[in-house]
Amino acid sequence: MTPNRRDFLKTSAVGVLGASAFPSPFVHALSKSADAADTRTLVVIYLRGGCDSLNVVVPYHDENYYAIRPTIGIAAPGTTDLPEGERAALPLTRGFGLHPAMQSLMPLWEQKLFAPIINVGSTHPTRSHFDAQDFMEWAAPGIKSIQEGWLNRYLQRTSTPNDHFLRGFSPQPLLPRALRGDYAVLAAPGPGSEVAIDTFAELYECEGKRGGTTVDPATTEEPPPAARGRRGKKEEIPERPPVTEEDLTGRLIDAGANTVTKLRHLNGILRGNEAAKKRYPRGGLGSQLADIAAVIKAGQPIEVAAVDYGGWDHHSYQGGSAGTQARMLKTLSDGIAAFVKDLGPARMKNVLVLTMTEFGRTAAENGNAGSDHGHGGFMLAVGGRVAGGRIHGKWTGLHPSKLNMRRDMPVHTDFRDVFAETLAGLYRFDWKSDDFFPGFDRPARQPLGFLREAEGSRG
Amino acid sequence: MRPASLLLIALLSFAFLPSGLIERAPAQEPPAPGGKDAAPLDDLEQTWHALNRLAFGPRPGDVERVAAMGWRTWFEEQLDPSSIEDPAIDTLLAARFPSLSMDLAQLWKTYYPRYPEGFAELPEEQRDRLQQNRNRQYAKVQQELHTSVLLRAATSERQFQEVMVDFWRNHFNIDQKKGFCRLLANHYESSVIRAHAFGRFEEMLLASARHPAMSIYLDNEISQKPLTKEELAVLDQIREKRMRDPNAMLGMVAQRIDRHRGLNENYARELMELHTLGVDNFYEQNDVRELARILTGWSHGWLGDAYESEYGFRFYPEVHDADRKTVLGKRYKGSTEEEGVLAIRRLASHPGTAEFISWKLCRYLVNDEPRRSLVERGAEAFRESKGHLPTVYRAIVLSPEFIDRTAYRAKYRSPFEFVVGALRATGARFAKVDDIGRRLARMGQPLYQCEDPTGYFDQTEAWLDPGVLVHRWDFALQLTLGEVDGVRIDAKVFDRWAKGPIEENRSAIIGSIVPGTMPERTAALLARAKTPRELVGLILGTPEFQKQ
Repeated sequence: MTPNRRDFLKTSAVGVLGASAFPSPFVHALSKSADAADTRTLVVIYLRGGCDSLNVVVPYHDENYYAIRPTIGIAAPGTTDLPEGERAALPLTRGFGLHPAMQSLMPLWEQKLFAPIINVGSTHPTRSHFDAQDFMEWAAPGIKSIQEGWLNRYLQRTSTPNDHFLRGFSPQPLLPRALRGDYAVLAAPGPGSEVAIDTFAELYECEGKRGGTTVDPATTEEPPPAARGRRGKKEEIPERPPVTEEDLTGRLIDAGANTVTKLRHLNGILRGNEAAKKRYPRGGLGSQLADIAAVIKAGQPIEVAAVDYGGWDHHSYQGGSAGTQARMLKTLSDGIAAFVKDLGPARMKNVLVLTMTEFGRTAAENGNAGSDHGHGGFMLAVGGRVAGGRIHGKWTGLHPSKLNMRRDMPVHTDFRDVFAETLAGLYRFDWKSDDFFPGFDRPARQPLGFLREAEGSRG
Repeated sequence: MRPASLLLIALLSFAFLPSGLIERAPAQEPPAPGGKDAAPLDDLEQTWHALNRLAFGPRPGDVERVAAMGWRTWFEEQLDPSSIEDPAIDTLLAARFPSLSMDLAQLWKTYYPRYPEGFAELPEEQRDRLQQNRNRQYAKVQQELHTSVLLRAATSERQFQEVMVDFWRNHFNIDQKKGFCRLLANHYESSVIRAHAFGRFEEMLLASARHPAMSIYLDNEISQKPLTKEELAVLDQIREKRMRDPNAMLGMVAQRIDRHRGLNENYARELMELHTLGVDNFYEQNDVRELARILTGWSHGWLGDAYESEYGFRFYPEVHDADRKTVLGKRYKGSTEEEGVLAIRRLASHPGTAEFISWKLCRYLVNDEPRRSLVERGAEAFRESKGHLPTVYRAIVLSPEFIDRTAYRAKYRSPFEFVVGALRATGARFAKVDDIGRRLARMGQPLYQCEDPTGYFDQTEAWLDPGVLVHRWDFALQLTLGEVDGVRIDAKVFDRWAKGPIEENRSAIIGSIVPGTMPERTAALLARAKTPRELVGLILGTPEFQKQ
């Protein structure tokens, strides 16, 4: 049963049903691909709400910055006599600084493992959170009919009959949109008790290979009967038969079997990571990053992990070097730093952490010591393949004439170019011949270069 | 044994054979109700069906009571919640959840008290104390909402009201996490959802459109008519001024222009797409934009001095786009809120809305794939009664499709329905819901915190992820072991089964929680339980208990 636009399945459940075009990973749940050691892993941290970029990568060299941010602006590195509680920006390069709460990323900057990307975002002008997030996570700005996440799309396009169920993973109850789609991705918000799994396991085990008892594939493409075409012209949509108890039971058994197998496997991995988890900052993000690290350390062929970190919609009381945004930036920074340390340099060679946000915020602060929805934003890239110790992207200053609609940061780098470079550089995936980005008719001629040895796509 | 039950057992046993033996025929045309494989539901099955769909499942004794009176009689009572006596819950609400009956200004004053004049100059200790007090109050208001939602769903006698309130809460979804929605949600729940769930759809729609929480959640509060050329010029001047003097003061007009954020189409779109017509049903992108223009100025605020006057819907004419608009072929031109009220009333009475709302209700109450004929009948009831919701509910529930065997046990409990069903089945008592709330979040359904304006989905697929299923199993076991914080199951709930060996009581215990006979594999697991308490915990985690 595939939904209309808003009726979209929140989860990977279509994979669970076994009705998708992809062989159910369940059957081969525990197989590992031969070269798990060479697995490249992308970890996306989505900063939901539109994280302000100008206070993260601080353009302290630009006098306009202080003119338009009299309250929340962050002082240039080396400034003394700051009011109590405030701190100066940390020096990066070229007159840009890093928000002082992100001190824990500085060693990574020194080691050239960390690079910010500035003035990056979507070509679509929307300032709606929902739309902007959708567009970025489907990697299809403006196209509302696309309903699958770009990360799920990657997993689909590269799937094999022997896929391990942990190729994609998100340690939270709901998959981030970028991971939603026909390919089954495990969303696991915490281990759940062994006792529960062991208790109910026999109810489901050996039942799991049912597959195909549920949705008739022929009906999966059609919208529900109530949907009509434009201006109320009723389309001839065949009515779908009611779901029966038998159907439902079949699905429940499948889902239960999936749970037993996958969770047992995952919990074994997570249980071994309790000690390491203590070295992460307290709270959801730290815990989630620790779980992802555990899966990587256990040699699982995990290629895509994603977490949401929300709450960045700072219309008011955003704060400058101290305050709401600062506290969250510290959590983010400390989480990433702990993650990098946990994995160690050898593993980090094959791991890329990428933060992104649906849009940046207004260049000027608003009347409430905050900022409003903007346009161009930033990303942070951390990993062994990152061309670190540099700021990527184009800076054109803060004069109103250079701002988007005279108020927001401009978009000089399409986020799809960053995604494309990730696909090519990290996975050696040929996104061009794959026609991976619907409607992307103006990719950059040169890669941004935020990944070292940015290889061309696999021939 | 009745033929219907035998048939049921046969069907269920077939369901548990290994795959390969069962071939599901490709669907060609939907089987008619009462087709050759579908014996009608007997009275007991109908009673269970009513209690599982029109209530959050039976408490001990409910099945007998409703069977005796006939579920239709029970349902007619339930259709008029105000006629049902429920002193227990009413007293509780009045005593423990004052926020639920406060108006918005009182909510602000009580749960987000303002700081006194000269706050910034107070000694730090005093400032801290005031801040902590405010934080404490603010946390309380959310607790009150969550606790009351769960308490009412689990213990209210007005069960069908709770079932329908849950539907509308999702239909007109707001996310408490967004800004001051946390404070305002309590009022939203009472004055938008509960006040109109048994009234007229149009009134609920209007109430939601005017409520500050919706205005915040879907950003209509920041939607403004586009700046004129003159105003854009002022904006340039402001920038230049700031470059010369970062601390330059701006006049009121300049401030407003400075903060201008343009037209925001979010609410207008969801109003059509999610609240009334359904996705791309009759409307086009241009209608969204035009409706957004009509709704510019629809926002909220204090009607007089802050904290000294009333708080609520406010129309701001200065940001309202008063030019001509056309929405769904109708022309509008107005400079007051009446323009928006008219547009919303028209949406409520649009035939597409009757259809969409009926479809959603049929899916919620009957089957994930409701029959078109049923949807049409529901839509007709909606149209003829001009959106009188009890009339629509009756049309759907008293239809042959509702008690057709294809509807029976064919829906999957959402996490909320599962948790509440389990609390009711065990007669559990609770006062604090923090732990329940955390578990609901792990199951994928944090209370009042659905980020998507669609609200939580109703259909099975939304809730089958392995990662969240395990948390249901945890809850089932831990609830009966007394390990869910704040929840207690009275020992006598289990003690009444304690006379005699468990083997003798087993089917009675099972039969009090789920209808019909357990399939063999499930029965085998349940046979392992050595005590009634253990048995109940297992039952709650079976696939049978997840169905409704």
